[in-house]
Amino acid sequence: MTLSSPAKLDTSVLLPLEPEEEEERPLSERIPGLRRYLAGLYGARASLRALPGEGGTQVARRTSFDGRVLFLPEAYRGFRDETADRLYLAAVAHAGAHLAFGRARFEPKSLKPLQIALISLLEDARVEWLAMEALPGLRRLWRPFHDALALDKDGATATAEVLMARLALALFDPARPLDNPWLAKGRDMFFAAMPEWDDPGALRLLGSLLGNDLGQMRVQFNSKTYVVQPVYRDDNAGLWEFDRPPPPEEDDTSLAEAVRIETREKPPEPGERERREAGGESDPRPASLSPLDPDQWIAVARMPEWDHGAGRLRPDWATIVEATPRTAPAALVERWLEARPDVARRTAGLIRQAKVGRPARLRRQGEGDRLDLDAAVRAAIDLRAGFDPDTRVFERSALSERDLAMLVLLDISESTKDTIGGTATSVFSVLREAVAHLSAALAETGDRFALHAFCSNGRDEVRYRRVKEFAEPFGNAARSRLAGLRPGLSTRMGAALRVATREAARQLSHRRLVLVVTDGEPSDIDVTDPAYLVEDARKAVQEAAGAGVDVFCVGLDKTGETYLSRIFGRGNFVQIGKVEMLPDRLPQIYVRLTR
Amino acid sequence: MPLSAYQIAEEPYFEPQGGEVALFSAAHALRQPVMIKGPTGCGKTRFIEHMAWRLGRPLITVACHEDMTASDLVGRYLLDAGGTAWHDGPLTLAVRHGAICYLDEIVEARQDTTVVVHPLTDDRRILPLEKKNELVRAHPDFQLVISYNPGYQSVLKDLKESTKQRFVALDFAYPDAEREAQIVAREAGVAKDVAVLLVRIAERTRNLKGHGLDEGASTRMLIQAGRLIKQGVGLAEACHVALVLPITDDMGVRETLSDVIAACA
Repeated sequence: MTLSSPAKLDTSVLLPLEPEEEEERPLSERIPGLRRYLAGLYGARASLRALPGEGGTQVARRTSFDGRVLFLPEAYRGFRDETADRLYLAAVAHAGAHLAFGRARFEPKSLKPLQIALISLLEDARVEWLAMEALPGLRRLWRPFHDALALDKDGATATAEVLMARLALALFDPARPLDNPWLAKGRDMFFAAMPEWDDPGALRLLGSLLGNDLGQMRVQFNSKTYVVQPVYRDDNAGLWEFDRPPPPEEDDTSLAEAVRIETREKPPEPGERERREAGGESDPRPASLSPLDPDQWIAVARMPEWDHGAGRLRPDWATIVEATPRTAPAALVERWLEARPDVARRTAGLIRQAKVGRPARLRRQGEGDRLDLDAAVRAAIDLRAGFDPDTRVFERSALSERDLAMLVLLDISESTKDTIGGTATSVFSVLREAVAHLSAALAETGDRFALHAFCSNGRDEVRYRRVKEFAEPFGNAARSRLAGLRPGLSTRMGAALRVATREAARQLSHRRLVLVVTDGEPSDIDVTDPAYLVEDARKAVQEAAGAGVDVFCVGLDKTGETYLSRIFGRGNFVQIGKVEMLPDRLPQIYVRLTR
Repeated sequence: MPLSAYQIAEEPYFEPQGGEVALFSAAHALRQPVMIKGPTGCGKTRFIEHMAWRLGRPLITVACHEDMTASDLVGRYLLDAGGTAWHDGPLTLAVRHGAICYLDEIVEARQDTTVVVHPLTDDRRILPLEKKNELVRAHPDFQLVISYNPGYQSVLKDLKESTKQRFVALDFAYPDAEREAQIVAREAGVAKDVAVLLVRIAERTRNLKGHGLDEGASTRMLIQAGRLIKQGVGLAEACHVALVLPITDDMGVRETLSDVIAACA
């Protein structure tokens, strides 16, 4: 049983460890959990991102929170394993408290850096108090980080930093005895002001006063080296309305880092993105990308296109091109599957269950294990009325056999490179992972399926990638093609749908299904009318229906309702608002569709 | 009285959240069909039981499922010694003798099944029994109530537009914190502070709706957890087995839930 009982939290010991970092859990893996934690605690939503931990200049890193985006350090130096887990939770819980109980930013006006730091500290204490009122367990979460500073040792030099960390503790735990009159004054005034906490002016005044006192005590404060204590708190950049460069140095760096991240999010060199896509590891590019030029596109077909303005089909309008598929080590697919064993297990279970089929009641059978009441009654009535009765009065249950061929058509246009809110994961990588899970499960059960992908670069170049064909097993060849798939270009959906329809229609199955997975509206570089490709795709779906092929769409665009229902018809698409859920949802959708 | 088995003798405990008792009474006075929406375990069924008791009407409940056919609702001929005999289904029973017929989780039933209620839910108030060649006029006390959970709605399971538009709807949500704590304390028999804590936990899990959970913990779940606590199970463990484990199989989400629960107490 994996019960994390609250009692466990108390016994934690925070041992600062050697700075050498062994394989810590990467932040990107923590982020989904932390985001859920934030949402769970406060019902709040914020973007969580990594604060790149380059250079070793700043010893103590803090989270940085600007009200909307929470930047977390890649690692907290000296914290590992469970302590690190707890620290991230504490940091997120603290930032969430700001989010839930914070208010308008303070104006720095004429405040000195020391006063700004103090007011921030008071605000930290205030939001934590409010948070702990609602969630008392947070005290247990935060407490060890105060204790770890070991501030009550006598003889510690009374620098501003030490005093402030002690004040933080005094405000966190007012029951502690204090030997320092300044701390006692700060604590007493803070709690005396509790009724006025809603008024930002009260804390501001208190902070200024305490700052003046420290000034009179001639305590040195260096805003350039000051870091907030304890470690889980954020740098409070989000509390202040700095219109000029902010006085405390740390704010400056964190803001600069924020900007740096923004630019890193869209790297100019395509190679780098591909490397990152390739599974996060830092190997050089997969060697198999180049030997045969996989980008020699050859025209293989022409497809008509529907011009909704003219109300006619333009014959041979879009050119379908194909090329030798790019490949990457099939082991990558293996790794995606292994990375999420729970999804793999659920998917396999779901599909196996669907494969067996639900028992169907076969009525009016010549023989069977039960009387079919309706038929028996009818027979009895017929007998009485003097008619010749129908002797098929039995019913039995049988497992329904499915005869189905499905073609999964992936939209791999440029927009799938977008990262999912706050993580380094792109839509494309989730898509790929989801497809890998589905394919692996389908291959197990032997369902007939094919996996194709498309993107386009104008009507003369609708690129069609065959990752897996119907007749082929989901073996190494198909896997390495899936791993080699790269996103780019535009979405000319109609043309691709027509190709997919042809492929599916060729299958000798009772039911033929094309499952389109797309993240955006059809668009292409040579089309300006936004309705044009939507209407064309709609036409393509209608043509598919005419050819006896069902088309269903999974939309990864929260705002896609309008065009998806236009193209596929109401009821023939689902929207998945949270792309991360795709690996779980895709098999469910498959099972529902194939019932 | 054929429906005496369906009479509710003792008052089912129900804590009103707002004007729903008055609204339902008004709708009942007009015999309007009522649709009750709300997340799972928020008290929809309890409310209907309570209202049936309050109005002194028998209550016939049908839990709808995918394989339910119209005959399962309306009735069918069965064979007996003398030949065939008609047996009323639950809906027909209610229509004939004047009960509240409650179709629970109606969206689970196939749409071709649900359309049998159409003639009952407009001015006609009739139920044609095609196979028996009989037209049953609804008893003056008959009222139809359906419930469903909009959270489950999907393209594959939804009410027909023509069905939806025949009902007046009451929208249920989880009760506010204080009321919910009161309910949990009463139903589970735990102290008020435990109930308050359970509700606080539930609120946090409901925040996770859409973040890995389809639904947060329901009032029903809290009562289950509370009952375990009453039996002497520790809070953390009770929450784990009654809230965390049933609600999700995702390890990451479970971990978050445990962390969130730890923060609540």
